[in-house]
Amino acid sequence: MKLTELFRQGKFVITSEVGPVKGCSRVNGGPPPEFIQEALNIKDYVHAVNVTDNQSAVMRLGSLAASLLLKQYGLEPIYQLTCRDRNRIALQSDLMSACTLGIDNVLCLTGDHIKLGDHVAAKAVFDVDSVQLLRIARGLNQGRDMVGNALTQPTNLALGAVVNPGFEPLDLQLLKMEKKIEQGAEFFQTQAVYDPKLFETFARRVESFSVPIQYGLVVIKSPKMAKYMNEHVSGITVPESLIKELESAPQGGLKAKAAEITLRLARQMGPMVQGIHFMPLGWSDIIPQVLEGLRGVVN
Amino acid sequence: MIATTKKPLAEVLAALEGHRRVALVGCDGCAKICLTGGADEVAALAQELKQNGLEVILEVTPERTCNVAKAKPALEPLTEQMQQADALMVLGCGGAVQITRHLTEQFGLTKPVKVGLNSVGHMDTVVPGSMAMEECSDCGECILNETGGICPVTRCAKSLLNGPCGGAEHGKCEVDPERDCAWVLIYSRLAALGELDRLKKYLEPKDYGKAARPRTLLFKEGRVA
Repeated sequence: MKLTELFRQGKFVITSEVGPVKGCSRVNGGPPPEFIQEALNIKDYVHAVNVTDNQSAVMRLGSLAASLLLKQYGLEPIYQLTCRDRNRIALQSDLMSACTLGIDNVLCLTGDHIKLGDHVAAKAVFDVDSVQLLRIARGLNQGRDMVGNALTQPTNLALGAVVNPGFEPLDLQLLKMEKKIEQGAEFFQTQAVYDPKLFETFARRVESFSVPIQYGLVVIKSPKMAKYMNEHVSGITVPESLIKELESAPQGGLKAKAAEITLRLARQMGPMVQGIHFMPLGWSDIIPQVLEGLRGVVN
Repeated sequence: MIATTKKPLAEVLAALEGHRRVALVGCDGCAKICLTGGADEVAALAQELKQNGLEVILEVTPERTCNVAKAKPALEPLTEQMQQADALMVLGCGGAVQITRHLTEQFGLTKPVKVGLNSVGHMDTVVPGSMAMEECSDCGECILNETGGICPVTRCAKSLLNGPCGGAEHGKCEVDPERDCAWVLIYSRLAALGELDRLKKYLEPKDYGKAARPRTLLFKEGRVA
């Protein structure tokens, strides 16, 4: 089902995210690969699950194959598609492939730069940017490719986009967000934010945009991970106070602490927008209890 | 300017393997500016080649080796000397090397023309004698009028045309924290000019056909073929 339909129905949309493995995932009657299991943990708790596209420019199983696998296990995938590795021909072709294979939702992204990944000598593509990709995808939904040729059958994809509320200057990020909306973005997922005041400023500024937004929340699993994100993950800032809080967790109590922090942040920032996008990075098993704690806070 | 760096001596020597008598051709244009192929660098390489048992029979540094109008008058009178060489070694950009090859062919010489430098881009000298940076990608479809005179095709690591990615932090690029985010620079510049509205304009995907190589410029027609 399209996420846009859920937003239209006034649902508070909960999504999560998995990263495909580095390797083939042929199932052949055996147990599903770990990233599918990760998604299955939360099958009854989330509306859909993002499938990352060679995230952080680290080469992995393709997001389309992984999205299809999720679909076969009864989950609703959000197919992430980046401009980093595909030119405009490949992007359009992959959008049509996704729709043909039954994918309903696509998240259109620029993509992390190759220099951040494990194939630093690769040739970066970036033939088009995320705003242009949205326009192209909208065109395919309307039955035309980007040069105006008619399609035998239009695609029918809900088009998602991302925004970073922590970007400075925020005005510049919002200018781009508005362009994304003008060119076809129908819903947004935000970069992870840990500062409720910052998120509130963002949420107020974008209220008039009249587009559904999901608050993005990466589950912080350890102080080490928080520090790593601050140093190496572009666009994310974890406040020192949260790192200290994680450090105070008793032996063996990190997961409980992470769940507690995740719930608190979700309660603080979720209600400011129309949904939450959890990025649990392998700890999807905490999501059910977090959602339990959110009951009544968001509809 | 076409920026160049020197190849390691071992690579230069390897390229000249099997050749004893060498003619050295520098370039008094860009390579001189980059301290890689002016007369001084040609002389320095000549010394090193000699120390490694090679014979340098000619050192010449045309004003602009990539330009036939300058290179031909400088090299043609040296045809006989070049005839004595087993190989030519050019300290210039890849263009200088190939113009030198064109010319040797015109002069009736069949000599290997080797390169001693790596060409690293179309760059602009920002600090004379010290630093040049890449600011233009020669895309064939200049958008500087829209972007406050700062090129996102070149200075944004992802060549984004419609604003920044989400990866910049404190105005710096996700690829290199020492590098300014091109879009933050563009934003600041347009804000200073009172032209922020320009950023609202959607820019279409570039026509990379205009950058498809190899391009030929027809001066009089003002046309790229």
